[in-house]
Amino acid sequence: MVAVQGQGQGEQALATARLLDERLRLRFASLEPMVTVSAGRAGGVTLVPIEPDGPTPLPRGSPAVTPAASQGAVPGPASPLGPLLREGVARGAAVAIVAAEPHDESIDWLAQLVTPVLTGGFDLVCPTYRRHRTDGAITTGIVAPLFRTLYGQALRQPLGTEAALSAPFARRLLADEDWRRRPTEAGSDAWLIAKALGGEARVAQVWLGAWPRPDGAPEDLGDTLVRALGLVFGEMERGAAVWQRLRPARAVPSFGTGGFEPGGEPPEASRLWEAFSRGLRDLLPIWSLVLPPATLLALQRCAARPVEAGGLPDELWARSIFDFSVAHLTRRVERRQLLRSLAPLYLGWLAGLAHAAATFDDAGFEARVEATAVAFEREKRYLISRWRWPDEFNP
Amino acid sequence: MWDQTKTMFLEGLERVALALARLLPGLLVMLVLVLLSAAAAFLASFLVRRIGARLDVDRRLREWGMAPPARTDHLGPTRLTARVAAWTVVAIGFLVGLSVLESSATSALALRLLDYVPHALVGVLILAVGMAGSRALERSVLIGSVNMGLHSARLLGLGARWLLLVLAAAMAFEHFGIGGSILTAAFSILFGGIVLALSLAVGFGARDLVARSLERRFQEQAEKREPGNGDDLHHL
Repeated sequence: MVAVQGQGQGEQALATARLLDERLRLRFASLEPMVTVSAGRAGGVTLVPIEPDGPTPLPRGSPAVTPAASQGAVPGPASPLGPLLREGVARGAAVAIVAAEPHDESIDWLAQLVTPVLTGGFDLVCPTYRRHRTDGAITTGIVAPLFRTLYGQALRQPLGTEAALSAPFARRLLADEDWRRRPTEAGSDAWLIAKALGGEARVAQVWLGAWPRPDGAPEDLGDTLVRALGLVFGEMERGAAVWQRLRPARAVPSFGTGGFEPGGEPPEASRLWEAFSRGLRDLLPIWSLVLPPATLLALQRCAARPVEAGGLPDELWARSIFDFSVAHLTRRVERRQLLRSLAPLYLGWLAGLAHAAATFDDAGFEARVEATAVAFEREKRYLISRWRWPDEFNP
Repeated sequence: MWDQTKTMFLEGLERVALALARLLPGLLVMLVLVLLSAAAAFLASFLVRRIGARLDVDRRLREWGMAPPARTDHLGPTRLTARVAAWTVVAIGFLVGLSVLESSATSALALRLLDYVPHALVGVLILAVGMAGSRALERSVLIGSVNMGLHSARLLGLGARWLLLVLAAAMAFEHFGIGGSILTAAFSILFGGIVLALSLAVGFGARDLVARSLERRFQEQAEKREPGNGDDLHHL
């Protein structure tokens, strides 16, 4: 049996869940799949099983989980993960899948997600999508290198929309103390990944084709940074005892064919660089509470050069992110303000990435992304020393 | 003659001695009150420090940008509040002590000052909250303006800070009873003047500029929404 979670809002969620149900029944008829749709209610989430042959009424006055949930970072009672796992374990499911919406029809994406768990013995299968080169740059430049540095496993897109979990891993997660001790934080994607990578679960990633680009305007950059990095830095804080033990890097088994989505004009690097330079000038009083003087000086030297000279060096970028994570830990600046103030620095790094996207072919661009991740790994000792003695550099 | 002088001198001495004798119990009570208030001040200071340390007030205020970064030569907010509380208690004790003296002038002065104390305390509180709030507002406006890509982010932050500071100062002065209606009128004229000057400047001098600027801004926003321009990026 497979328990699947459809997400979305109202009728859209129902339509998505019905589609998933239909596909699963066609593809895995022998496994008796069960699809549920999550409906938000006061103080939590309730699951509504999809009836294949009849209407599935959503509870009145309870909109389904908001679209933000499908962007991968809703913790606490609003997270559908806990109810899904409980339902799956109670019904003896072999696999639990968190799924948001149907994907690239040219790829058998449900089978891609389920098969490594059913036949490969993996505990968690994360999705990876083909995206435009500069899409998802927070993932490329911060989240993925950070998780890789902390836990020694290179997931390309750790905060993906979907995930498939094995029954033993689901039981381990349900038994975790965090549901009781940290009910407002457990259940987010960052939490799930930190538990999997820090707990020695067998993790794999699968290519699920083109990224299903959401409709409408992208979320505000500041809000995205607060939402995603708040959870990631929070997990860093709680998992410090685990990730501070230096681990040798391990390859994550990868299934499917990857690459970048063609097209997608990169943003204008000079405009992003200008935003960085302006931010550096204006936010200096705040950044001087977060970044050591040497880093500030290096940033100022970089800002004086054109972006074509290489943008922000990877080591400097890695150290800056580590410094922000330490400031998040020590609450040197209010956390939301801290993460919002990171936006111009991120745009500076993105300017370099956009320049690389305009200059290199796919292989060259991939090498550029890999170089950033390697720089994060190289600077791990710096992170550990700052984490242990955060006041050493503080003004 | 000598006897009369001697009598007058002795009578004078007697009167002074009597006056002192009448004043002595009052002075003694005043001394006791001042000593008690000193003890109460010590207790108040201790309590403020303990509560501040328990609630981690200094760190929280610094986190929100309401207090400047910690420096060795600066008093932290908790220590400053503890000192203000202690000296306030001592001052109140002294004034209460003055009021028990059997002297109409000192008693009247003490009672008037005691009446003034609550107003002064509210004024100080308004000023302190205004100063702390203005710092937090400045930081918030600064970050918001930078992220919106505005060119004068620092100026906007500083402007917001001073606006709140001036408002808090005006409210505090009203409670202190300084300036009276003149201050309110001056404040109203100042703010009304700023708004009027800006309106006139825009209306007469920069109408075309504003129109062009708005046009450009809306055009930019429309361009931003066009796919492929870079601003349709999904960052996560």
